[in-house]
Amino acid sequence: MDTQWSRYEVFEKERLDWPHRNAGSVHAPDGEMALLNARDVFVRRPSCLSLWVVPSDQVFSKTAQELAEDDSWRNAPAQAGAPLEKYLAFQKQGQRAGETFVIHVGEVEARSPAEAMSRALETFSHDNAFVWWVCPDRAVTKSDAEDAASMFEPARSKVYRQPNFYRVLTQMQQFKAGLAFIGEDEE
Amino acid sequence: MTDEERLQEFEARIERGEKIEPGDWMPDEYRKQLIRMISQHAHSEIVGMLPEGKYITRAPNLRQKLVLLAKVQDEGGHGQYLYHAAETLGATREEMVDALLEGKAKYSSVFNYPSLSWADMGAIGWLVDGAAIMNQTMLAKCSYGPYSRAMVRICTEEGFHKKQGMEMVIRYATQGTPKQKAMMQDAINRWWWPSLMMFGPHDANSPNSPQLMRWGIKTKTNDQMRQEYVNELVPALHVLGLSVPDPGLRYDEKTGNWLFGEIDWDEFWRVVKGDGPCNKERLEARRKAHAEGQWVREALTAYAQKKAQG
Repeated sequence: MDTQWSRYEVFEKERLDWPHRNAGSVHAPDGEMALLNARDVFVRRPSCLSLWVVPSDQVFSKTAQELAEDDSWRNAPAQAGAPLEKYLAFQKQGQRAGETFVIHVGEVEARSPAEAMSRALETFSHDNAFVWWVCPDRAVTKSDAEDAASMFEPARSKVYRQPNFYRVLTQMQQFKAGLAFIGEDEE
Repeated sequence: MTDEERLQEFEARIERGEKIEPGDWMPDEYRKQLIRMISQHAHSEIVGMLPEGKYITRAPNLRQKLVLLAKVQDEGGHGQYLYHAAETLGATREEMVDALLEGKAKYSSVFNYPSLSWADMGAIGWLVDGAAIMNQTMLAKCSYGPYSRAMVRICTEEGFHKKQGMEMVIRYATQGTPKQKAMMQDAINRWWWPSLMMFGPHDANSPNSPQLMRWGIKTKTNDQMRQEYVNELVPALHVLGLSVPDPGLRYDEKTGNWLFGEIDWDEFWRVVKGDGPCNKERLEARRKAHAEGQWVREALTAYAQKKAQG
């Protein structure tokens, strides 16, 4: 039986004016390799400025349905002497196809995941919040802004990965209209 | 809430067009069906790399080689998106990979057919990826969030797969030497029926379909999609001077449908059950890849442990 690798949630920032969005997950032995795997799996097309990965067991998540039905998670005791630290907060804010990503909405300070979730629920709007995630900032491995060019640039030059590189629709229209000659024995 | 009430609320949510996310209540059957569908889909992408991977070293020029490399690489990535989606339902990567390697898991039967010439790359791109795109476009609207999001991503990337196939078919069919044209027609002849089989059994023989439709996973029936596919492909192939290997093919003025002959269902079930031309070969290739990759996995784990010790 193989050694199991941890699962890491992957967040991708595609544009300057968009927040990090959860794209999926990868398996890796540590954060550095999770970042590389995430690049190979999720960034084959040229639109990425930053990648974050975090072990999935560090993500504390609740759906709106779960929150409505059960409050007992709030009673989870914080570890004695646990320091106040930064937690990242995420929400899924839509139900229509293009909007259904868990996205980064901000930060809170807390001593435990449960406390971070409470803070997030107090801090961020509940309008259209279908899913809530929090994770400690220290558990996140982030791509280096300085490395962005070498990490993501190669994808930009591979234009043959884009459908608009192929003129087939124009060609088919021409054939259908009888405009292009279908030769019998060219040359 | 009783299970009955929960089920009603669940189905009402789907009716309203809401996405079901990990953590939401779902019937066991919904979870089981999705794990089965999504993992089979993931296995199909990974095994689907094999018939085309064979031709990377046989491409006629550098541009074709780069395009084929990009396509096969995409398929590996698509498998990853889908394994991830199945994991959100509680399946583990190890369980899914083991099931595939032990011959217990199914994958799309179309990949149990051999690729026999370079022209197959065009036929596979247009016919096989073309059929997959129809299915995937439908699934992009499905009710389970992680699966729907993975499908949206896959659909965006799959567009070029079909187009590079079309480009190749157009080139050999309209500008090729007589030998090249014949090679292209031969490839179409071999991949036509397996592509139609990708849409699954007739509706009457598809017991899961009504349940899948009620739960927002399927929105069109197998036969509906198969007919749409034939209606799109037949006129396009004809315009290029190509034919499809079906003596029963005829155009029906009344419905506007291209009616087609009966699929060989004996062959369909034989291949699904493991007795196709390449089932054994595909499984052996996956086992070999897994075994030969062991040292890489061990090395990466050792490296991570060493780094952690500082």
